[in-house]
Amino acid sequence: MKRIPLVIGLAAVVVGAAAWVYQLIGGLAVTNMSNLFSWGFYIGCFVFLVGVAAGGMIISSSIYLFDVQRLKPFGKIASLSAFACILAAGCMVIVDLGRAQNIVQMLIHPNFSSPLVWDIVVITLYLVLTFLSVYFQLLPDCKRSGKRFFNRWIEKRTEAEIDAVSHRWSRIVAIVALPVAVLIHTVTALIFATQNGHPWWHTAMLPADFIAMAVASGGALVLLIALAAIGRAHWREHMAGLATIARIAAVALAVHFFFVAVELVLLAWTGGGESAALLQSLTGTCGILYALEIVLTAAAMALFFTKAGTSRPTLLATGSIIALAGTLIHRLMLLYPEFASSSLSFTTATGTEWLYPLSTGRYLMTGQAFASTYAYVPNIIEVAVVLLPFGILLSVLALIAERYPMVGAPASKADSPLR
Amino acid sequence: MKLGMAIDLDRCIGCRTCMVVCKNHNAQPEGIWWNRVFTIGSDEHQVATGTRGAGYEMAFMPVSCQHCENASCVKVCPTGASYTADDGTVLVDYERCIGCRYCLAACPYGVRQFNWEDPAKTKGVDEDRYCYGYPLDSLDKGRLVYTRDRPQGVAEKCTFCHQYRVEGEKPACVRGCPANARIFGDLDDPTSDVSRYLDGRPTSRLREELGNDPKVLYVQAGARQKPQLVYGEGM
Repeated sequence: MKRIPLVIGLAAVVVGAAAWVYQLIGGLAVTNMSNLFSWGFYIGCFVFLVGVAAGGMIISSSIYLFDVQRLKPFGKIASLSAFACILAAGCMVIVDLGRAQNIVQMLIHPNFSSPLVWDIVVITLYLVLTFLSVYFQLLPDCKRSGKRFFNRWIEKRTEAEIDAVSHRWSRIVAIVALPVAVLIHTVTALIFATQNGHPWWHTAMLPADFIAMAVASGGALVLLIALAAIGRAHWREHMAGLATIARIAAVALAVHFFFVAVELVLLAWTGGGESAALLQSLTGTCGILYALEIVLTAAAMALFFTKAGTSRPTLLATGSIIALAGTLIHRLMLLYPEFASSSLSFTTATGTEWLYPLSTGRYLMTGQAFASTYAYVPNIIEVAVVLLPFGILLSVLALIAERYPMVGAPASKADSPLR
Repeated sequence: MKLGMAIDLDRCIGCRTCMVVCKNHNAQPEGIWWNRVFTIGSDEHQVATGTRGAGYEMAFMPVSCQHCENASCVKVCPTGASYTADDGTVLVDYERCIGCRYCLAACPYGVRQFNWEDPAKTKGVDEDRYCYGYPLDSLDKGRLVYTRDRPQGVAEKCTFCHQYRVEGEKPACVRGCPANARIFGDLDDPTSDVSRYLDGRPTSRLREELGNDPKVLYVQAGARQKPQLVYGEGM
């Protein structure tokens, strides 16, 4: 029973790896992407995972930064979730590559004007920092349980010494990692925001909105893992801390809606040209997906703002799943308004905008050499390949959670500053 | 040196010869077209748009790589596989491309193409059969910028026919255009064909507002005012 998450995680890794090998042989032609919709489900999931990873560490760091005692029991989970997610995000970029065998070129000839190179640098740094954060927080557990985690040196020290080292270094790593957590998502947003040919991306608001969504989705995943790790019997004791995480996620979603509202007002007010085309795409071709994103994130926010929603563990779990689903759709909605149609248009003699057809690159699949719009839906292979990074994420979480106690004792009411 | 091209929209007859010669000379696989010509506003090429009252129009628009001075694709490429050569052309090093497709997302003109599968397979060729396209590899300072058999999973686009330029020839589309609508040469040299052709002619560039500074200049089509068409009764 206890091993079920690990078994599911490893099974996902096996299925995902098989699908990836199939893709390496057949090329990205086994996916539904085309020259028009050139980044699909993989990049959507990549941005989603980077966000969840950033959010995890932001929660973990705020324990030390704001001295929030009631979140202290969840520090380990938040750091571990950040580590597992950023590891999975790194894998997600690799499965998206058309020529992964050339990846070493990125190390030999990095082009530092590319935001993708900046992202690889900060993601690698974040991977190291989140690992260290987990490492130092696990030291006291390792000492007590005798189960080692790359730390044979602790045998010579006393428990009190180890506790002091763990506390001191967890704090230092948390404070160093916080700006890096903000940075990974800022730089990931810059991959898109630097592109002046795409009005939906080319805004300074994008990085800020990305971080808001990161805190919301990162908090939601920490909640889910915490609920699973605590176990039904002990939910009651931890409700105060869990409710605080839910409230943080709700506030982050509110900030996100602020950005959404400002963006929509600007588009509607400007009118004409690109703004009108974008607004038309948000309400027309991408309307269902956009509506779904807004409904899901709004529902999660509303639930997490109510007292009832944050006092029942089942509702906390429901809200978290809704928030994560909404965030994933939000990430895909980054791509749809820009890639669903051609990026080049001309004004006709009668004054209407006409989309210039692009080569699909997928003549054999679509039967069309040219197209000005492209309806993309990820296919079964893409879903299977995505199981590889998500399987790694789940396996890492399960492996660590199986060996060590993941949730600390709840803080007593007296020493909580947020009462 | 700044190689560029003028396309005279008044001369273009929309015959798509440049598309076909480009595809053949550069061995482009199925679904990949470095060079495209369409009729603006029309679902069918070579079909006029408009209404009886407002009059009809049939404007042809050839689009291929704009070889931007401030090229988005070069700036975003994580490995420097896309780069600007000394002569100002934007090229792709097939041996360095990792297939991340950032350039496809970044290009405002949609001219970047991707080899979603093994090109040899889509062209249906093997060792025994004829394969179209210039057969020899072409290198720029040791970097593979043209090869007939492209690797699977790399990005590609117009090179202004690198394999011909190194032999002193003009790009295939320039040589193939029956209306001489394309004029190619060094934009920095005032005595070059292209500079002399552009002198005094009104030009425009695609999506000028983005600041990409393209080196393909469109000589504007002349009078938009078309003669009034008169229809007889019953038409």
